[in-house]
Amino acid sequence: MDNNEAKGIAFKGTAEALIILIPEEMETGSIMEQIAEKVKAADKFFRGAKLKIIYRGKVLSKDEEERLVAVMTENSGVIIEHIRHEDAPPVPEKEKPPKLSGMPIRRIFFKELQEGPCKFVRGTIRGGTRVFFEGNVVILGDANPGSEIVASGNVVVMGALRGMVHAGADGNREAIVASLKLCPTQLRIANLITRCPDSPENEQILPEIAFIKDEIIYVEPLGMR
Amino acid sequence: MGEVIVITSGKGGVGKTTTTANLGTGLAISGKKVVLVDTDIGLRNLDVVMGLENRIVYDLVDLVEGACRTKQALIKDKRFDGLFLLPAAQTRDKNSVTPEQMVKLCDDLREEFDYILIDCPAGIEQGFKNAIAGADRGLVLTTPEVSAVRDADRIIGLLEANELKNPCLIINRVRPDMVKKGDMMSIEDIIDILAIDLIGVVPDDENIIISTNRGEPLVTDGKAMAGKAYLNITRRIMGEEVPFIDLSGQDGFLSKVKKLFGFRTA
Repeated sequence: MDNNEAKGIAFKGTAEALIILIPEEMETGSIMEQIAEKVKAADKFFRGAKLKIIYRGKVLSKDEEERLVAVMTENSGVIIEHIRHEDAPPVPEKEKPPKLSGMPIRRIFFKELQEGPCKFVRGTIRGGTRVFFEGNVVILGDANPGSEIVASGNVVVMGALRGMVHAGADGNREAIVASLKLCPTQLRIANLITRCPDSPENEQILPEIAFIKDEIIYVEPLGMR
Repeated sequence: MGEVIVITSGKGGVGKTTTTANLGTGLAISGKKVVLVDTDIGLRNLDVVMGLENRIVYDLVDLVEGACRTKQALIKDKRFDGLFLLPAAQTRDKNSVTPEQMVKLCDDLREEFDYILIDCPAGIEQGFKNAIAGADRGLVLTTPEVSAVRDADRIIGLLEANELKNPCLIINRVRPDMVKKGDMMSIEDIIDILAIDLIGVVPDDENIIISTNRGEPLVTDGKAMAGKAYLNITRRIMGEEVPFIDLSGQDGFLSKVKKLFGFRTA
């Protein structure tokens, strides 16, 4: 919509009535002119139709309302049954998409789990450090408590994973997390969150993989499937 | 209307976080509705001491930035119903929050809770300014060391300059045996220098180390000396008159144990 149009009259059809949007600052003369123009342009549509009119924006006097009806009838042969003013409905507040770990869940999310962009990080990820990447992430080292790894794809940690990890952070539920020692403070895949049980961590060291199945995050030894 | 209490010390490592966790838990034991706010952004610890680290989804910075609702950011304690934690962000820094935002946050929390305990970071920079911004009352923590007392003195000055009048003093990690020998500053010496009201004395207790590592505040254990001292402080916070524990009696008991132990190994 360009600027000129935004300032002018606009028509909106609904099941019950024709809604006319009239800008607050518009003068009566130009309102009538523009309406006449618009109705003429669509006179086939209006001819013989019976309409209720609701107008929003500028409040017109009784006189002006009558003139508006007259203008519309003259220019198209429409039959106006009723006219009234209505306040514009409140614009519903747009709900922000849920945002976990600073990456919003999107409808079109990262899908290149098999092959695609990948970030390699060599060394220990310490507490307070954040690895944030739109793609897959491989850590060649440990991830300590207090660290955050957020990736829109898979996360593989070639070491002990003790921090927070979020795979498929923009919504891909196919994403996985794998680590040689999987004991994160919190593990997230897409919009699901899980945490280790409060009991002390399992002492046995074996590579594990976490994935979503039936709305639940499962963790199982790597290489069993 | 709740009361906002900031726990601060200036110097690091004197026990602000441990004290916040124990006082908060103590108040919750007494049936109060309490929220603990960790303002140590970037070096958060309170969640670990409370054993709630793995439940964090949203934090203080998310909340003040409007990325989540208050209910989403508050973590319910696993032991007590009326106890909540608002964790700090770990991957941000102190400048992510302004004192104005903290004032607003404290005012919001005041509506719902009886006590809002704010765990202040060490230092006197941005983090300290954030922590004290919304507070009604200050608890100054020190240990019987000259350096800690110096910093506490500086902090008291800053609190008074920021309209937080009459802060109260907690002396942590007192070792009566060392005080007796004259190797440690006595409580009287410290009060003499700082000249503010004393609200509690917490003895040095190795159980504190065990409890912080386990993520279970010591006040839940009725037997430990430090736990008892913290419980007494919570009662004083609520306005009760509670006599101070006689720590010198404890050292007799301790030395008895030591003698017994020495006798056995000899």
